[in-house]
Amino acid sequence: MKTLIVIPAFNEAENLKQLLPELKQKANEILIVNDFSSDDTAQIAHSMGVSCLTLPDQLGAWGATQTGIRYALSRGYDQVITMDADGQHLPEELITLYNHKTQDSHVIIGTFPQRLSYLKKMAWRFFKILTQIKIQDLTSGFRLYDKQAMTILAGKEASLLDYQDVGVLLLLLRSGLTIEEVPVKMEHRNDGKSRVFSSWLVVMKYMIQTTTLCLANFGVKKST
Amino acid sequence: MTNIVILVIGALMSLTIFYLVRKDKMHGPFATWWLLVALATILLSAFPQWVDSIAIQLGIVYPPTLILVLAVGLILIKMLTMDMALTRKERKIRRLTQRMAILENKLDEFINRK
Repeated sequence: MKTLIVIPAFNEAENLKQLLPELKQKANEILIVNDFSSDDTAQIAHSMGVSCLTLPDQLGAWGATQTGIRYALSRGYDQVITMDADGQHLPEELITLYNHKTQDSHVIIGTFPQRLSYLKKMAWRFFKILTQIKIQDLTSGFRLYDKQAMTILAGKEASLLDYQDVGVLLLLLRSGLTIEEVPVKMEHRNDGKSRVFSSWLVVMKYMIQTTTLCLANFGVKKST
Repeated sequence: MTNIVILVIGALMSLTIFYLVRKDKMHGPFATWWLLVALATILLSAFPQWVDSIAIQLGIVYPPTLILVLAVGLILIKMLTMDMALTRKERKIRRLTQRMAILENKLDEFINRK
């Protein structure tokens, strides 16, 4: 089983300096997808001997992740694990994801429900009612995708998604894949920023876009 | 008088479209759409009585509303198809951007190996 660790990174040079040495002890093959950073994210990756793709324009977290998945497919990897660069996801928890993977499951999501703030919990509950998805943590970026999931997510259908959350899950469920969750430990964000929940305007945009997506996908197959 | 003004608008529109195509600033399907709009304008200036007779048959009391409703409807359809085209383009650009990053990485590897 060839596994690639995919880390989307936008201006994460400082965080990568901390994360990569630790991560290299736990995983052999790591790919940083540099999402048009203005700092030296790419140089840090190269200096630590980690492969790095540099996007010629900003695509956002999901666009960068998808790039990594397409790369992994073209290089014949069997599975991909995505994680954040900000130190929230711990290298020692990679093994939890590996171990939970069975023949019957296609996607494993590492969840840490305690991390959710009151506001986020409300939002998730709303989306779960809307989509009937029975997954606790909708936005966790700590996920394992197997080859089948990778093939679907590398496709054109997934290219217009903006976040690695409800849209990705709905697409996978619609394709009949099985998603499982496993509890993992998570660190609090080093710099305390969330891509999605950073300002009211961004939150509004996110809520409206995701609600539209949920409504448009009404009646999609439910998760177990 | 109104008819002549509308005729001039239609004629100017057709000329503009032909000019844009000639200067390579507009291509294929877009030019066709705009030429059809210009043609409709010219026809309207030549036979304004058509609007009245169609409006009466549809039971519209004030015939100019027919033109306005049709115009607004066509503009909405045009804008909707424009956004659909933009979506297609966005998807293409995103995928090409990804492809470029992957190819660039491959190229670097190839050069470093030499």
